[in-house]
Amino acid sequence: MTTAPTSIARTWRPSDRLNGVISVVVALFFAYIVIAIGAHEQATDQFTNALTKGAMYALIALGYTMVYGIIELINFAHGEIFMCGTIVYWWLLKTLNITGTITDPLALVGFLALAFVASMSVMGVVGVVIERLAYRRLRNAPRLAPLITAIGVSFILQNIVFVGISNSVVTVPRIIPNTRIGIGPIAISQINLFVIVLAIFIMIGLHLFVGRTRLGRAMRSTAIDREAAQLMGVDINTTIALTFFIGSALAGAAGVVQMVYPGGAATKFDLGFQAGLKSFTAAVLGGIGNTTGAALGGFVIGFIEVIADVYGFSNWSEAIVFGTLVIVLVFRPTGILGQRLGDRA
Amino acid sequence: MKYARMGAAMAVVAVLASACSSTSSSPAASAGAASAGASGGAGGAAIDVKVGIEFPMSGGEAPNGVPSANGVALALSQIQVPGFNITINQQDDAVNGQHNPQQGAKNMQTLVNDPQVLFVVGPYNSNVAAAEIPVGNAAGLAQCSPANTNPGLTKTWPSYDYKALRATNPDKNNYFRTATTDDLQGAAGADIAFNIAKAKTAYVADDVEAYGKGLADVFVTSFQKLGGTVVGRDSIPTSTTDFSSFVTKLKGLNPDYVFYGGVTTSGIGLFRNQMAQAGLQTIPMGGGDGIVDGAASVQSSFLQIAGDGAVNTYGTTAGPHSLASDATPSPTDLAAAYKAKYNTEPGAYTAASYACTQAFLQALKDVGPAAGGDLAKLREAIRAYLADPSHTYQSALGTFSFDAAGDTSQKIISYFQYDASTKDWKFLSQRDFVKNPF
Repeated sequence: MTTAPTSIARTWRPSDRLNGVISVVVALFFAYIVIAIGAHEQATDQFTNALTKGAMYALIALGYTMVYGIIELINFAHGEIFMCGTIVYWWLLKTLNITGTITDPLALVGFLALAFVASMSVMGVVGVVIERLAYRRLRNAPRLAPLITAIGVSFILQNIVFVGISNSVVTVPRIIPNTRIGIGPIAISQINLFVIVLAIFIMIGLHLFVGRTRLGRAMRSTAIDREAAQLMGVDINTTIALTFFIGSALAGAAGVVQMVYPGGAATKFDLGFQAGLKSFTAAVLGGIGNTTGAALGGFVIGFIEVIADVYGFSNWSEAIVFGTLVIVLVFRPTGILGQRLGDRA
Repeated sequence: MKYARMGAAMAVVAVLASACSSTSSSPAASAGAASAGASGGAGGAAIDVKVGIEFPMSGGEAPNGVPSANGVALALSQIQVPGFNITINQQDDAVNGQHNPQQGAKNMQTLVNDPQVLFVVGPYNSNVAAAEIPVGNAAGLAQCSPANTNPGLTKTWPSYDYKALRATNPDKNNYFRTATTDDLQGAAGADIAFNIAKAKTAYVADDVEAYGKGLADVFVTSFQKLGGTVVGRDSIPTSTTDFSSFVTKLKGLNPDYVFYGGVTTSGIGLFRNQMAQAGLQTIPMGGGDGIVDGAASVQSSFLQIAGDGAVNTYGTTAGPHSLASDATPSPTDLAAAYKAKYNTEPGAYTAASYACTQAFLQALKDVGPAAGGDLAKLREAIRAYLADPSHTYQSALGTFSFDAAGDTSQKIISYFQYDASTKDWKFLSQRDFVKNPF
């Protein structure tokens, strides 16, 4: 009895990769044109805004998609894990008593590294703990039970922050100086550049990990067929815990990004709800269970939002995002990069 | 068995006692404490009545609701009405730290169902009022808001059908307010932009909600009437936290002024914060009373969230700040009493809440004795008294009256600017739109 095929398991062929890269470049070019028509001289800035937003959604969407791929659970608490990542960062700033930009590049790099390591490891552990306490027992239960549990966990996390930290907006000082770096004729804020490069780096790293390492192979096989993987000697519990660790660590990284980039630097106990909703949409849009799809979906949504803002449809942006999701699902029920559902012998 | 019979006997006595007292609808359980002295009047025991308070009190809304609620409590502690023992029934319409119209309607129903509640002060937000007015209207419970400014609640306006809100009892107005309306506040915003900030171009945004959008729309028409140009107009959903695309837009448009119609919980503080991050804090920004919610030291106020962006900001409130000499109590006395009781400065709408309560207390003094102890009769008498446009009230805002629609006769908007030395709003001037129409 095969479960719905997931593309974590799909093998890449060289021609696929080339086609993929070409499509992405063409799509980006087209998106730039669309933005340029609306934004004129601000086209580059808005383009970077879209990439940055998209990168953040993508990082969160990856966690959703990985967990779904391996145990077919939509972890609604994932958005809250992202929010808790922002709180870890805020706490770090407070404890180290940092109140303004860090001008010394070495100290800045050092602090950012510390922030990422701290947030990712803490949230990774939290993710594993949640899986162990809330989801493991329900692995073979009817699908609704773990879903409701996930919603419950998300409320618990929200409330812990609401009561324990703050019941309204928490702002942080921006630590990265907002200097612009010139790349040829274009000037980009170094913060945006950092976020985009980091996100791409993480995504490629994840792709390699899942595709090339033994642990990644264990994850893929567990995703395809849990019993067969167990028979082949894969430790299911460890593999699933690892998946949660990685997914939550990515959400933690997204949390640090949220607090560092110009359009963020603030958090709130219900930040995870909105971000999680959009990222979940991104994961579904790209094909749930497919990590490349999640990244793609994240960027698509980032671009849709910025294009809507550029053209003055900002109050429709949410409707447009979810409308796009509906339309894509109508024509491709498994998402853009999802495999077609078919009968497998 | 013995105890059961004793209990039964006590219950019978209690029922008889409550039946003997005048047709008061207090439940049998409180019969002992209730006015056992039959035909009311000052001679008998004081009648227990309540004032309902309906504000958003928690989370990001605390700077709005708490000072307003305190204004009511302060008024009740300072002014006594003989023959009546007035307490408070407090409700909170904030859900997860944000004002919620559905919660407001529920709270209003709770207050309506409490027979001792004769009057409600609140709410703070216009969209919450739109949910509450039908409830109060059906029950004939008078309600006074110190802060609702959307014109559609009392007159013809695109946002709400004010007649539909009162459909159950169209001839019995139960909604009053001591704040004036956004058609004036938007014009005041344009006045500040054009005449004080000397701006010729403006970028206008709103938070899509009734109050914010209405205010921004009025600003646009007023600003254009003065001769300015609106170079951009956006509606930004309240859930937005990332304003980078709008900040980038501003860099391109380079307006002389940015006007935002909305409340702080919709994200305007973050918008200004991100503008400052991009170096755009040199562009002055203005808003309505939704952003005048406390000094930079007050948690979750606009100034606090805006951080470095708090400079160059303007705000207005829908009421007088510099009060006529007939303000009772005087502003200094009110501030001193408030500080003594709550250990902090009064909020922007403390005086207006105080004034709402004074109107009620005056009504109660006038109609209270005649109603006997009949709470239902009292409720209607209070409503009728307030709905009568011939009555005037001496209040913390000066002398005013309610017109037939429930609006205050005072049409004054106060102008504020951020003062970096005190990190708080500084009063600039106020404009009386009756004497100085737009």
